[in-house]
Amino acid sequence: MLTIDSLSKSFDKGKNFALEDVSFNLKAGQVCAIVGESGSGKTTLVRLIAGLERPDHGSITMGGKIIASLDKFVQPEKRKIGLVFQEYALFPHLTILENVLYGISKLKNKKTRAQEMLDLVGLGNMGSRYPHQLSGGQQQRVALARALAPEPSLLILDEPFSNLDTMLRTQLRNEVFDIIKKTEVTVLFVTHDTQDALSVADEILILQKGKVIQKDVAANLYVKPNTLYVASLFGSTVHINKNLQNAFRCPLKQDCCHAIRNEKIIVSPSSAEADCEYITAARVIKKIQLGDSTQLVLKLESGEQLTVMTQDQNIADTIYVGFNSKDILEFEQE
Amino acid sequence: MKKILIALATFSIVVACGDQNKKKDDQSSTAETTTSQVVNVYTHRHYEPDQNIFKMFEEKTGIKVKVINASADELIQKMKMEGKQSPADVLITVDAGRLSRAKDEGLLQSIESDILEKEIPSHLQDVDNQWFGLTKRARIIAYAKDRVKPEDLSTYEDLVNKKWKGKILVRSSSNIYNQSLMASIIANNGEAAAKSWAEGVVANMARSPKGSDRDQVKAVVAGEGDIAIVNSYYIGKMLNSPDAEEVKTAQQIGLFFPNQNDRGTHINVSGAGVAKYAPNKENAILFIEYLISAEAQQVFTEANYEYPVLESVEPVKDIKEWGEFKEDKLGLNKLGKHNKKAVLIFDEAGWK
Amino acid sequence: MKQAGNKSEAFSLKTRIKRLKRDINKWSVLTLTIVFFLALPIIFIGVELFSGPGETWGHIVKYLLPDYIWNSFYLVIVCSFLVLIFGVSSAWFVSRYDFLFRKQMEWLLILPLAIPSYIVGYAYAGIFDYGGSMDLLFRQLGLEFIRIDIMNRAGLAFILSISLFPYVYVSARAFFLNQANNLLEASKMLGVGERKTFFKLMLPLARPAIVAGLVLVLMEVLNDYGAAKYYGVNTFTTGIFRSWFSLEEPQTAVYLSALLILIIFTLILFEKWQVRKIKFTSSKTNSTQIQRKEPKGVMQWVIFSAVSLPIILGFILPVIQLIYWAVITASTVFDMEFIMISLQSFAIAIVSAIITVFFALLLIYFSKWSTLTTIKNISRIGVLGYAIPGAVIAIGIMIPTLALDKWLINMLAKVGVDSGLIINGTLIALLYAYAVRFLAVAYNPIDSTALKVDNSIPDSSKVLGVGNLKTFLKIEFPLIKTGVFSAVILVFIDVMKELPLTLILKPYHIDTLAVKAFEYASDEMVMEASIPSLFIIFTAMIPVIFLNKLLIKK
Repeated sequence: MLTIDSLSKSFDKGKNFALEDVSFNLKAGQVCAIVGESGSGKTTLVRLIAGLERPDHGSITMGGKIIASLDKFVQPEKRKIGLVFQEYALFPHLTILENVLYGISKLKNKKTRAQEMLDLVGLGNMGSRYPHQLSGGQQQRVALARALAPEPSLLILDEPFSNLDTMLRTQLRNEVFDIIKKTEVTVLFVTHDTQDALSVADEILILQKGKVIQKDVAANLYVKPNTLYVASLFGSTVHINKNLQNAFRCPLKQDCCHAIRNEKIIVSPSSAEADCEYITAARVIKKIQLGDSTQLVLKLESGEQLTVMTQDQNIADTIYVGFNSKDILEFEQE
Repeated sequence: MKKILIALATFSIVVACGDQNKKKDDQSSTAETTTSQVVNVYTHRHYEPDQNIFKMFEEKTGIKVKVINASADELIQKMKMEGKQSPADVLITVDAGRLSRAKDEGLLQSIESDILEKEIPSHLQDVDNQWFGLTKRARIIAYAKDRVKPEDLSTYEDLVNKKWKGKILVRSSSNIYNQSLMASIIANNGEAAAKSWAEGVVANMARSPKGSDRDQVKAVVAGEGDIAIVNSYYIGKMLNSPDAEEVKTAQQIGLFFPNQNDRGTHINVSGAGVAKYAPNKENAILFIEYLISAEAQQVFTEANYEYPVLESVEPVKDIKEWGEFKEDKLGLNKLGKHNKKAVLIFDEAGWK
Repeated sequence: MKQAGNKSEAFSLKTRIKRLKRDINKWSVLTLTIVFFLALPIIFIGVELFSGPGETWGHIVKYLLPDYIWNSFYLVIVCSFLVLIFGVSSAWFVSRYDFLFRKQMEWLLILPLAIPSYIVGYAYAGIFDYGGSMDLLFRQLGLEFIRIDIMNRAGLAFILSISLFPYVYVSARAFFLNQANNLLEASKMLGVGERKTFFKLMLPLARPAIVAGLVLVLMEVLNDYGAAKYYGVNTFTTGIFRSWFSLEEPQTAVYLSALLILIIFTLILFEKWQVRKIKFTSSKTNSTQIQRKEPKGVMQWVIFSAVSLPIILGFILPVIQLIYWAVITASTVFDMEFIMISLQSFAIAIVSAIITVFFALLLIYFSKWSTLTTIKNISRIGVLGYAIPGAVIAIGIMIPTLALDKWLINMLAKVGVDSGLIINGTLIALLYAYAVRFLAVAYNPIDSTALKVDNSIPDSSKVLGVGNLKTFLKIEFPLIKTGVFSAVILVFIDVMKELPLTLILKPYHIDTLAVKAFEYASDEMVMEASIPSLFIIFTAMIPVIFLNKLLIKK
């Protein structure tokens, strides 16, 4: 339903690219999360899709029609895309109901529709209030109702929860996606938080420095990450650098980058008990109790430091750590 | 608040359109009847009494007087730009220099009027009948009665004498009356003499030139200097000022008409000419003729303390008390001719 | 795929042209049209530059230019100094402290803007003159009159500063009232003293706001003609008039204007550079209103005097002098015509204010919608009119409009209609000139309020299927209303005071109060000029008070 082809955008006439050669597909009805740090180009990407920026190269096709390319540009108001901003962007001088009505003024049953939308987000009785009289979470729900009211074919949520505190955001995220699921709209969900992405997205697209690093279903991102960066986004990961290779005496392929998931690192009181290919002795220099698990800062035989997690409550001062070659993740050198 | 603003805006548009409509009415009415109903006057004379004269003219002839007030320079620029389409019928200035400049620019036309030619002394009108003087003003020396003996004063040229060091007050050289005075000195004595005269006066100045003619008179009384070069009619105005202090000030100074023993005191005229492309030429001539009628001349002298050009009209009492004087009969065209040179000499001499 | 090619290809000439073709829209064309319309007089003056200066240019450079440069430089320095002292101190005191009559003083401090500076100049000359008000007062008290000579360069700097400082006051106070509270609280929490907070924190942060006001003041200072001429100080503007009229060389005048414009552009660039620096630091958070302190003991009187001094000097004293003159001349000057002239002035001012603001809005929003950054930069040309003396603009307007008029007359003549000038000598030319001259006055307050509206708000509207124009009417206009109204009021006041442009372009039978006042003053009837001056002041005062209400509401 949405096809992005070699999309590029620069804000300084080609010196730096906010978005570089981005291509991907989005199927109808799918929820796709775009994950990346700030400055990775997420916001530029959605602004391009929404028509708020114009691409310097490449094209965007939606529903079989080109909406942006080098020779064509469909105005944002003609694109039928819903967009929810991080800062809510409610019209401060209009009431909640008027905000929701705003995009559907041409509909016949606009009043009923707007009220329906407000009911859907659980603010049915607040239509006559003004945005500043609402809490942040409520404002964001109004923004959602406003974006959904015109029945957009694509809904973009641009970091919708990052202005809210942690407790509220998990709750609101679940609520919002429950609502969205009812509407069966295709969703692009921009976030810098992997938890957000994992909990709601069918597919996740990783952006780094304006480039797509990987786009896949959540499970694959964990098992087969393309880069060390992706690996570390979805679980704590240890980079097996040259020194660690020496410490564990595990010669690995040159010109490649290797890592191991923290939970795949085996900690045991003796070398015999440990069932691993590569192993080394270590001294515990720091123990941090984190609920049911313990974080250990270890000093390896070779003098290297390593941080690992363990469920074991009784840790001696000297232990053995190791791992198996099947668990090693291998990437092309970055 | 919004409503107030909208209301204001509507009101203003109504008023503005009203003005426009009025204007259109004027135009259409003139177009419908005959074009001989108006005379368009570009004037530099900003004097209130002039309005009365215009009203008197309107009453007498039924010709409506439409006025644009601005400085003569701006009016000349305006006429130049408007060219053939210029609505101006009459140009009135407060000095002869600008009139002759307008003539040189081809903005005026020669007219035939026996009244004007006969009544106005020949040195006060253009040789080609393109402009005519309406009133005279003399550039005189005002002195502090308590400090200066009139016998010590003689000519403009004498002002460079060492005895006046730090005693002369005069306004800026950007003023047209000073420029005309300088032009007359160039015409009479030549450029080189004019330049050394300007340098001599600058050396004798009591202070850097500033303010108006009235301010120079006040400064004389305040003791900043002893003598000031000013126009005659300002003294008349000060003597009749609503401000008692000004009257008192004016009473403390004496008037001296320089160069009585040679060429005479420098005079200038306020004058008028008919515009080259005047749409209402006949009215324009009637209008100028009216301005030198006895009743108009009476108003000029009574309300503005100027010397009438009409010899039959007596100057107002205050002026008469200053006595008769010999005036420089230099053809006033020369003032326009030498005006630019005058400004350059002022700059070179450092007369600000 | 085409990894290597994409990056370089994206900015190849071919792609650029393709994009330009895609991105150019009706808004780009409209913006260019408006800019052209507004810049037309300036373009015509610029073209004049190519015909070379007049023959006296060498004479001017030799004898006058050093004086013009030195005097203008002196005025810029001294006025900046005085204006900053008056403007910033009063703005800080009324925002930070609560004292006797503070509320009244807040709007009284804006009132000096209502008096044209040349009239303040006349009034002060009258006050310190021999036989003037001070003289009389001293005599009444039986004292020896020590005459202060105010009619010189220093006096002119004082006059201009005291009548123009409200520009700095207004912008500094807007900053202190709306932005400063969080910072102030943070500073207090850190235990920093009052004085240090002001000098180390408030002053540097308010700098862009202050400099924006200062640039307006300096433009007015450099453009002043009336006061400088009367006080005998030769500046660029008096030089422009001198070379144009006395030396009869418009080309030379154009050269001097070009030099003046160069100086002013340097000032504008300076301001741009200032504002640019602060963009990184200012936050968009909506701060709460500043908490006012009540000063104690001596401070109470120090602050009270510091705030009332500029009001007394800039407004009360000159107005008293004018009223005194008005009383003694009322019988000869005042008549019913005055009411009519006042109404006309008022109507012209409000109509031109609305037109000018309308153009400013078009320029700001059309260029925003045009998406081409080049167009946005070009659109700034539209505000240059403020930097150019009114008389020069008047001529710049007459050249093209007369050409158009002549063309129209010819066309009409072909169809057998005999017509006079259609644009010149009518309100159209005058309103056009005001729009060109005062666009910057309208542009700045609108632009700065527009910047406060987060982009996501109009963006949401567009994504919701509403086009640019409707978004503007329904969303943006309501949000920038205060800025728009302030702009209307500021232009209104400026038009009320405007002189040289009005003199040249005004239609028959339309008089403005400023023209009336000038007519008297230029005939050395300064006393008689007091009544029209007072009318200007009182007509301009009403919107000034209105403007203050707007600012406080915000």
